[in-house]
Amino acid sequence: MLDMHSVPQQQPQGRQFNPYTENGGTILAIAGADFSVIAGDTRQSEGYSIQTRYAPKVFRLTDKAVLAVNGFAADGNMFVKKVRQRLEWYRHAHAKDMPIRAIARLIQTMLYARRFFPYYVYNILGGIEEDGTGAVYSFDPVGSYERETCRAAGAAQSLVQPFLDNQIYFKNQTPAAGTSFPSHLPLSTVLSLVIDSFTSATERHIEVGDGLEMYVVLARESTALQGVEGIGGVQEITMTEEGHRVFVIRRELKKD
Amino acid sequence: MSIMEYNGGSVVAMVGKDCVAIASDLRLGNQALGISSNFQKIFPVTDRIYVGLPGLATDLSTLRERFRFRVNMYTIKEEREIEPETFARLVSSTLYEHRFGPYFIEPVIAGLSKTPSGGVEPFIAATDLIGCLNFAKDFVVAGTASAKIFGVAEGLWEPNLEPEDLFETISQTLMNAVDRDAFSGWGCMVHVITKDRVITRTLKARMD
Amino acid sequence: MNSLAEKYSTTSPLSKLRKAQQLAEDEELSDAMWGSSAGFGSLAKGIPSFTVAPVPDPAAFLRLHTDDHADPNCRIKIQHGTTTLAFRYKGGVIVAVDSRATAGSYVASGTVKKVIEINPYLLGTMAGGAADCQYWETYLGMHCRLHELRNRERISVSAASKYLSNLVYSYKGMGLSMGTMICGWDKTGPCIFYVDSDGTRLKGDLFSVGSGSTFAYGVLDQGYHWDLTDEEAQELGRRSIYAAGHRDAFSGNTCNLYHVKQDGWHFIGNYDLSKLHYEGPNNVAGQGYGYDVRTEGRTSANPPPAATATA
Repeated sequence: MLDMHSVPQQQPQGRQFNPYTENGGTILAIAGADFSVIAGDTRQSEGYSIQTRYAPKVFRLTDKAVLAVNGFAADGNMFVKKVRQRLEWYRHAHAKDMPIRAIARLIQTMLYARRFFPYYVYNILGGIEEDGTGAVYSFDPVGSYERETCRAAGAAQSLVQPFLDNQIYFKNQTPAAGTSFPSHLPLSTVLSLVIDSFTSATERHIEVGDGLEMYVVLARESTALQGVEGIGGVQEITMTEEGHRVFVIRRELKKD
Repeated sequence: MSIMEYNGGSVVAMVGKDCVAIASDLRLGNQALGISSNFQKIFPVTDRIYVGLPGLATDLSTLRERFRFRVNMYTIKEEREIEPETFARLVSSTLYEHRFGPYFIEPVIAGLSKTPSGGVEPFIAATDLIGCLNFAKDFVVAGTASAKIFGVAEGLWEPNLEPEDLFETISQTLMNAVDRDAFSGWGCMVHVITKDRVITRTLKARMD
Repeated sequence: MNSLAEKYSTTSPLSKLRKAQQLAEDEELSDAMWGSSAGFGSLAKGIPSFTVAPVPDPAAFLRLHTDDHADPNCRIKIQHGTTTLAFRYKGGVIVAVDSRATAGSYVASGTVKKVIEINPYLLGTMAGGAADCQYWETYLGMHCRLHELRNRERISVSAASKYLSNLVYSYKGMGLSMGTMICGWDKTGPCIFYVDSDGTRLKGDLFSVGSGSTFAYGVLDQGYHWDLTDEEAQELGRRSIYAAGHRDAFSGNTCNLYHVKQDGWHFIGNYDLSKLHYEGPNNVAGQGYGYDVRTEGRTSANPPPAATATA
């Protein structure tokens, strides 16, 4: 005789389609008067495990636009691939690179096309506007966007952004009598703030670390490079002869 | 919604050169609704020890009285003022007594301890809501803006700051952090504890 | 009955999803994408198509991953929390909004543009999903322009708002979130329509939308009447947003103020709410809206500065 009570009852089991995961890391972009810095760490993690210590999150799109992606790495990489494809088509149709404000709107429509099955990606687009000024555009996963001067996104955004508010926008600071705060910071100051932000985030956030990649986009005839000759590991990756220049600076971050 | 975010509020403490600072915001909220912009979260324990109690406001009142009672009992029994580290242990054990039904408070302690040579030594500590002590050498944080405070503090703080510089550092840290937190803010208060006196200042902060 | 109707309907969300799913499988490569008409190039063929998750209930899927009211730990946080208001009076329409976007307790941005300039005569406000408002109101702007080209006259506020209302209604139940006021001046004079993603469309004199709307209404209702001067009306809008920014944790940072007159909208200014608290609209220290200024000297707990100095 079977004891009905000892037979485990078949419970209905729920199965959910979960195509998303979170791969950590942080990205950051700051616009200057005639340059733009776009940075990201290179750690890719899932939960408490590090999947790789070098997975780039920042990508050169054109010689005046660089895109940083953060969130779900698979979605991010696929999204960058699709943006690049659209930019190439544009190049074939118009024989020029798409201007950054158009790229920003393109990214909005591409993200919003997935409104009901979103890319789990936070995008920050940095580069040079057609008028030669530095620009940063930040996006939410479904495509709302805004032009800003500085923006941090990702795992350590809440650690980095208030620090930047203080150091870039001079929030909660009062200039000494008779003086005023500079409206744009020089490249050397911006680079050291970026490095400080990432070393701080590495100290206090487990998903941030390993390596730091900083892309610098310079407008035509920009003199922003003067005063940063001391910084090592600079590599130029400019592709065209149009005058805009792109550099990448790689740094080590703590690996623990 | 988390009970730790029900009332909002944040506290930070920092070590300086022969001094410590402790600061908090002044908001008391009921979730999104701001109720008071003059809600003290930091209390003196002795002349040289302050404790900050961010978390659930009802437990703040209870714990403050409990600590006052226990410190008074200690003072009477021992016939001397309590030392910061001893007070930290007292806080820890008081909280752990309620291990399975905790007070929703994460205390932050800042004070100056006496050294055998007659000098003073800065002391800061923080615990989680069941009393796990964290003795840090730089700074400790707690409350709804803790992640934001960590970020700014890590960027601004440096060792051996003089009292006035420490005041500026902790003020800038707290104000910029709470401006990025919906549940903290509505004014800030800072105490800098030095050998001779305690400097208390209210900051002109954002009120939105 | 309802399910039967849905099965054969070509406009129900379900059939729309089915259509969209097919489109997704076809790969979204239209000729328009190759040229400069990128993205919106599909305009001629009607509403752009959307990819949906390959699951039986895509709306539930979306809710699972994006709704931060149901689950604060969900991954994709859509920004929420807002105060927006608009009111009609003899001098036109005043539109005032705050500029804070929050994701959970984190203040994601303090510089959001919550007034969307649809065209020189039409404004839309933003509450709910930032992307939904931005995208559909931009899209609305394109259709308003098409209306102008086809009919040789500007679209009425009523028609524009109805276009938006019908558009979002066709996506009902799929997770769009927007509460907007379409404001403008047409043949009938100043005009405001409230449109939301549930399909509500209301004409009215005075609206406030968002988490801080109750606080804004408090100030707005007691100061509102039809015969306000332009200065009084602008001040009322600003003061109402300040009140909401002060009390509501999810509203704040700055106030953007617009005035719609017969010749279209005018941007009046961007006001830091903290400055308004301490210094007021005229930037005079001690002339702010702030609580201490209003209560100073009224109680022993808050004595006038002179009393503190002598004590």
